[in-house]
Amino acid sequence: MAQVRRNPNRIREGSVVVDMILYAIAFVICLITLYPFYFVIIMSISSPQEVAAMNVFWFPKGFNLSSYELIVKDTKMWWAYSNTLIYVGAGTILNCLMAVLGAYPLTVRKLKGRKWVVAFLLIPMYFGGGLIPSYLLVNKLGLYNTMFAIIIPGMVSIWNIILVRTFFTTIPDGLKESAFIDGASHLQLLFKIIIPISKPILAVIAIYSIVGIWNSWFDSLVYLPNEKLHPLQMYLYRVVVQQSVDLKMLSLEDTKNAVANMLSNIQLKYAIIVFTTLPVIFTYPFFQKHFIKGALLGSLKE
Amino acid sequence: MKAISQQGKRRTFHLRENAQLYLIMLPVLLHILIFSYVPMYGIIIAFQDYYPGKPFFSLTETNWVGFKHFIDFFNGPYFGRLIRNTFLLSFYFLLFGFWVPILFSLLMNELRHRVYKKFVQTASYLPHFISNVVVAGMVLSFINVDGIVNVIIKMFGGTPIALNTEPAYFPAIYTITSIWKSFGWSSILYLAAMSSVDPHLYEAAKMDGANRFKQMLHISLPSIRPTIFILLIFAIGNLLSANSEFILLIYNPMVYETADVIGTYLYRDGLLGGNFSMGTAVGLFISIINFTLLYIANTLSRKYSDYALW
Repeated sequence: MAQVRRNPNRIREGSVVVDMILYAIAFVICLITLYPFYFVIIMSISSPQEVAAMNVFWFPKGFNLSSYELIVKDTKMWWAYSNTLIYVGAGTILNCLMAVLGAYPLTVRKLKGRKWVVAFLLIPMYFGGGLIPSYLLVNKLGLYNTMFAIIIPGMVSIWNIILVRTFFTTIPDGLKESAFIDGASHLQLLFKIIIPISKPILAVIAIYSIVGIWNSWFDSLVYLPNEKLHPLQMYLYRVVVQQSVDLKMLSLEDTKNAVANMLSNIQLKYAIIVFTTLPVIFTYPFFQKHFIKGALLGSLKE
Repeated sequence: MKAISQQGKRRTFHLRENAQLYLIMLPVLLHILIFSYVPMYGIIIAFQDYYPGKPFFSLTETNWVGFKHFIDFFNGPYFGRLIRNTFLLSFYFLLFGFWVPILFSLLMNELRHRVYKKFVQTASYLPHFISNVVVAGMVLSFINVDGIVNVIIKMFGGTPIALNTEPAYFPAIYTITSIWKSFGWSSILYLAAMSSVDPHLYEAAKMDGANRFKQMLHISLPSIRPTIFILLIFAIGNLLSANSEFILLIYNPMVYETADVIGTYLYRDGLLGGNFSMGTAVGLFISIINFTLLYIANTLSRKYSDYALW
C-alpha cells in the first residue's frame, strides 16, 4: 500500500523547524488541489447576484438553491443520468465477466498455445488501428448511434485480464486439484470456487470500470449523435463546454425576466458540475483504496 | 466422474480440456479479434482512397494510392503547426510535470503525522477521479474574462487578460491543469517504492551523520530510481500524443495556433470532415514515431542505466 507500513520516521529525528516547513508545503498543496472543488460548490449555493459579481471566495454568500431547482426540473438531465446508469451497470458487469473468462484459462499451465494467446492479448495494448478504422468498424457492425456502441467495444479490457490473472495465480493449486478430484469441470471450478474467493480483485476492476465509464464522454461524442442516448458527461459537455442552447432554454423556461436569467446562467454551470460529480465525490473515500490496490498490482513486473 | 475417467482425462488433455479452456476464452478472443485486430487491418485504407459505402476495407475494389495521403499531410498547411503543438504540449508536461510527483512523494515520505499525511495524499488523488469534462468546465469558467483568475489579477491591480482566446496562454493553461490533475496519482508508484526501503538504512545514514535532506538524497531518492526511469521511458514514448481528449474540451478556434494537436485535427478533419484515409494515415504516422521514440529511449536507458522495459 501507499503508506509506510513500518514508519521509518519513527527512528529518524529531525528539527521541528524542518517539520513545520514540510507541513506548511503539504498544506499549500492540499489547498491547491481542493480549493477549485470547494469554490465550485460555494458558488453553486450562493445567491446569483453575489456569484455574478464574483464576491464569493471563502464562504457561500446568501444561501440559494434555485440553480439546483432548475436542474432537477430538466428532463434531459434525468435522461442522461439514467443512460449513464445503464452504461455503468451493463459495462461493469461485462467487464468483470470478460476479465474472469479471459484470465482463468491463462493460469492453466498445461494449456496448449498459451504463449500465443498471451501475445495475441498483449499486442493490442501497444498497437491499435486508431480512431477512424474503429469508427468505420462500429458503423459497419450497425452499432453506430445505439447504446451498444458504448457498451460493446469497451467490454474487454486487457489490463483487467492481466490484473485478474495475477490474482488467480496466487490461489493455491491444492484448491483447484481437490475440485478436480471431486469431478468438477473448469467452468464449475471457475464459477463455484474461484470467483467467490476473488471478490477483492473483482471489486478493484469493478470500481475501475465504474469510474471509467462514469467519466467517459469521447466515445459518446463519436458514436452517439442521438441526444436521447447521451450519458451524463455528454450533457455536461453540451451545457458547460459547448454552452449550447440547453442552458438558455433551461433557465428561460423558469425565470421570467432577463436579468435573473443572466445571473443564474453563470451559477447554473457550477450547479451542474456539482450535481454530476457528487456521486464520484461521495463514494471516493470508499473506492480510492481499491484504486490504489489496482495501480500497485498492475505495476508488478512479471 | 470415476477414477478411470480421471486418467482418461489426463491422456486426452490436449483435446477435451484444451477445448474447454478455449471455449471459456472464446468471447474474449472473438472480441479482441473484432475490436482490436480488425481496426489494425483497417489501417490499409491509409494507402487507398477510401470513401464510405465502399466494401468494408476491401483489398480489390479500391484504387491504391500508395503514400499519397502521407505526402499530402507532410506538405499540407497545418503539418508544421500540428507537429510543433503536439510535441511542445507533451514536452512542457514532461519538463514541468515529470518531477512534481517525485518531489511530492519525497515530501510525503518525510511527513510524520499519519492522519495529516493520509489526508494530504487522499486530497492529491481526487482530481484524477474527476472527468475531463468537469475539469474542462471548471478551467473554462476560471479563465473566463470575468472568471476568478482575472478577479485575482484585478485585485492586484492588473488588467484582465482574455486567457481563453489568446493563443500565447494556451500551453500554460494546458500544462498547469494537466499537472494539477495527475501529480497525486502519479506519486503512488514512487511512494510504494519508498515504503519498501529498510528503515535500518536511514538509521545507518544517521549514524554516519546524514541530516534529513541527505537521507532523502542518498536513500529515498535512489530507492525510486528504477521507477523514475521506467516512467520516463513511457513519457518519452508518448511525446507525440498529447492528451487530445482534454485539449478538445478546452480549446477553441481562436487558439488553434498553439492548441491544435494531431489528435484534435484527426477528430475534426479526419472524422467529422470525412477524410478517412488521410486521418488513418496521420494516426499511423504518429504510432510509428511514438514507437520509435519509445524504442530509442528504452535502448539508451538499458545501455546507460540498466533499467529497461524489455
